[in-house]
Amino acid sequence: MEYLAFKDLVIAKAQEMGLAEYEIYYQSNSGIMANAFGHEIDQFSANSDGGVCFRCIVKGKMGYASTEELSPEQAASIVEKAMDNASVLEAEEPVFLVSGGQAYTPIQRENPSIPLAQDLVQRVLQVQGMLYATDPAVTEGSITRGIGLQGRIAICNSKGLDLDREYTTNAIMVGAVVTDGTDKANDYQLEIGDIAQIDAQALTRKATGIALSKLGGEPAPTGVYPVVFDPEAMSDLLDTFSGIFDGEAAQKGLSKLKGQEGNTIASDVVTVIDDPFHPENPMSMSFDAEGSPTYRKNVVEKGVLKTLLHNLQSANMAGVATTGNAYKGKYDSPVGINPFTMHIAPGEWTEEQLLEKAGNGVYIRSLSGLHAGANAITGDFSLQSEGYMIENGQKTTHVNGFTVAGNFYDLLKNITAVANNLTIPSPTGITTYGSPSVLVENLSVAGK
Amino acid sequence: MRKSNLHFCGYNDTINKIMKRGMDMLSKELCEKVLEVAASTGADYAEIYANRTVHHTIHMIASKVDAVKDSVIAGVGIRVFKGLRSVNTSTVDTSEAGLIRCAQQAAEALGQGTAQIDIHLTPMTIRDIHPVRQIPAQMANAEKVAVLKEAYFAAKEHDSAITQVTGTLVDVDHNILVANSEGVYAQDRQIRTRMAISAVAEMGGETQTGSHAPGSRKGMEMFEEIQPASIGIHAAKQAVVMAGAGYCPAGVMPVAIDNGFGGVIFHEACGHSLESSSVAFGRSQFADKLGQQIASSKVTAIDDGTIPNAWGSINIDDEGTPGRRNVLIENGVLKGYMIDKMGGRRMGMAATGNCRRQEYSFAPTSRMTNTYIAAGTDSREDIISSMEYGLYAKQMGGGSVNPVTGQFNFAVTEGYMVRNGKICEPVRGASLVGKGSDVLMDIDMVSSDLAMGQGMCGSSSGSIPTNVGQPMIRVSSITVGGR
Repeated sequence: MEYLAFKDLVIAKAQEMGLAEYEIYYQSNSGIMANAFGHEIDQFSANSDGGVCFRCIVKGKMGYASTEELSPEQAASIVEKAMDNASVLEAEEPVFLVSGGQAYTPIQRENPSIPLAQDLVQRVLQVQGMLYATDPAVTEGSITRGIGLQGRIAICNSKGLDLDREYTTNAIMVGAVVTDGTDKANDYQLEIGDIAQIDAQALTRKATGIALSKLGGEPAPTGVYPVVFDPEAMSDLLDTFSGIFDGEAAQKGLSKLKGQEGNTIASDVVTVIDDPFHPENPMSMSFDAEGSPTYRKNVVEKGVLKTLLHNLQSANMAGVATTGNAYKGKYDSPVGINPFTMHIAPGEWTEEQLLEKAGNGVYIRSLSGLHAGANAITGDFSLQSEGYMIENGQKTTHVNGFTVAGNFYDLLKNITAVANNLTIPSPTGITTYGSPSVLVENLSVAGK
Repeated sequence: MRKSNLHFCGYNDTINKIMKRGMDMLSKELCEKVLEVAASTGADYAEIYANRTVHHTIHMIASKVDAVKDSVIAGVGIRVFKGLRSVNTSTVDTSEAGLIRCAQQAAEALGQGTAQIDIHLTPMTIRDIHPVRQIPAQMANAEKVAVLKEAYFAAKEHDSAITQVTGTLVDVDHNILVANSEGVYAQDRQIRTRMAISAVAEMGGETQTGSHAPGSRKGMEMFEEIQPASIGIHAAKQAVVMAGAGYCPAGVMPVAIDNGFGGVIFHEACGHSLESSSVAFGRSQFADKLGQQIASSKVTAIDDGTIPNAWGSINIDDEGTPGRRNVLIENGVLKGYMIDKMGGRRMGMAATGNCRRQEYSFAPTSRMTNTYIAAGTDSREDIISSMEYGLYAKQMGGGSVNPVTGQFNFAVTEGYMVRNGKICEPVRGASLVGKGSDVLMDIDMVSSDLAMGQGMCGSSSGSIPTNVGQPMIRVSSITVGGR
């Protein structure tokens, strides 16, 4: 059955059960994907999914239940299950639903339409042809993938809230595999936007160029160095450790930033911004996962922690207003906290100037295994890295198969310069990360 | 749990339930109709995959139950092949009209043509080699909370240095149906249960974590064999040891990797590169190496989806191929790959029962099940005493690999320095990096104490449960990341 009819059944059941406070959260996604391998489309897919999360307050506890089956039986079942689940909860923090009638920043962008299947297929084949034409070293395993996604989030509750947002994302991704006859290397590049307008030449050249530059190489010599992280590597680090700014995590002892608002937690060249309306992210959101209005904020300003990120519950515990950062990973997730487009603000230097300042050190272009080699609670990381040696202020030998290790809390204080090349490498979701290149003193490198 | 009065469901009952539930999902007649539509434009293979999955999660933090999650994931994926091309469509609309629409979409995307194959389905009776006794879905929240609390408070009360504990109890009731143009019409019910405890310890201003997360393809009876308290104590002990640890020194050294979850090294360094999704697409360093020595002669490696009740086990894979035990490497020689139907077409080889997907909305591909290095003949004591200066990696975190280059990394969550053949002080923050083809050759000692560890493996077809495993092994030389 359709969502609106299902929603009416859920509301009727909630009223029948005597519930005064409840919320219905709906999310649906659909998309098409075409993938070229060799000179053919080897995979095409068209997917749709989505479901409904019902949550309700029973005796001061918030119970949840979700379903993808929109049927009369399930409409009744999720209400009953949510009430049952509420009955075993013990956490004593007060729970809240957002009231309707608040002011929201309007979204200024128009949703592009999803490409037609045949247009997507043709464009993907064309870009794949361009990828193979960039260099004779491009070899089997190289792919081009075109993606068109659309989604919808709708929240309504018993307090008069009724919000709806639809969004679309179209993108082309190229994965270049290159060989010099003995060695192989690869690189992926993604470009968001109208698939017909994307500069495919630049995209394929970039992927091929980076893949070629990754051929060969050797581990960096073990030692302690100044390190320049390129925007993508630094964005990945910020992504991995963004949980340190989570207000609830801080309250529960899972972040060291508890009670640090107003204190210096980073070097004075560091400003960290959370922006729900960043122009490079097609998934701007004027409301968060609880339905609170969102806004752009400095989380760290010139090294000083201005605020942690909050939803209604953690804000109440901290005695502040919500920052509009309530988040659900998927419609059926409990409400947590996450940033929108979180990024380090650009600084005054060029990347070349950062290299000069580093003098002799290591330039890190990519990091791997961030889900494993980094501990978001302690801040420790030890990560597989790839990049270049920096000698006399210049990138020289290509290096890979080594690790860079440190602690993110220390790293924030040891950033001595920030470049002006802010990049949001992969703006493919409500939450994404960005950074310019940064220079960090004293990181440990383990290699040969 | 040990004194539960729940209905105990025997082996035959389990089969009956599977069959009945399967019939409820999608009838044979409906599947035939939908497959005919899917194959109507000339497909040489058509497939329906349906899943209806109930996830139930109980979460604790700060000594309280703070979240209970209950969700039903249900939908259908349809795939058609023609030669080396595949089309995958999916929908949450499982009405007949919705399925026909989804099949038409697949047929149209494949191209123009006329039907080339006949569809005749034969119900396949699956022998359930993973019987479940205490079905979690039939138990009340309160009973599950009691089990979780036993583990939670064992961690919380283990040591005064423990400042925070989180606990999760997850049970999944995953019902799948596979029908395809080769005549397969089969259902399977996969019940899995897992507990995860994570502890934070603070000593002298230093914070460290420890965790333990055993799981199995069983119901709540898994906690008869694994005492919940032991899970909590394992996590807490690790956090306390690591809070007192200094940083691991960086360098190239021999490493002894302990049994159980240590098998993640094989999973990352080699396993992913032996999946047909890498091999058949020019993205594996082990392509075209069958019969060649790719590892030290001490290494025999197996992927076995048929281990009764193991976390990564299956009865049938997500293309309907029965699970199998596949020898991948025997005494260092590459013997086989893990292959799905499409990979098999490209490679000219048969599917090996390794095709898996998280759920209907993911296109399936070749994946691991329970993958391990087989027991050898060395002893643990000999391995440690052989090391003049090195690292003993007692507990591993996760890792990742780039199959194109073979470069992998993984984290050591509990490590100790070894000097003059003796295990010495604990060290934190270590990671191991290397190249799969090198590290396989450098495994020069393998002990006899094979054990498994559980993980969720993420890849293009989603997040799936897999076991990693090995006895204790010695890698003669590897880069240890530290400081």
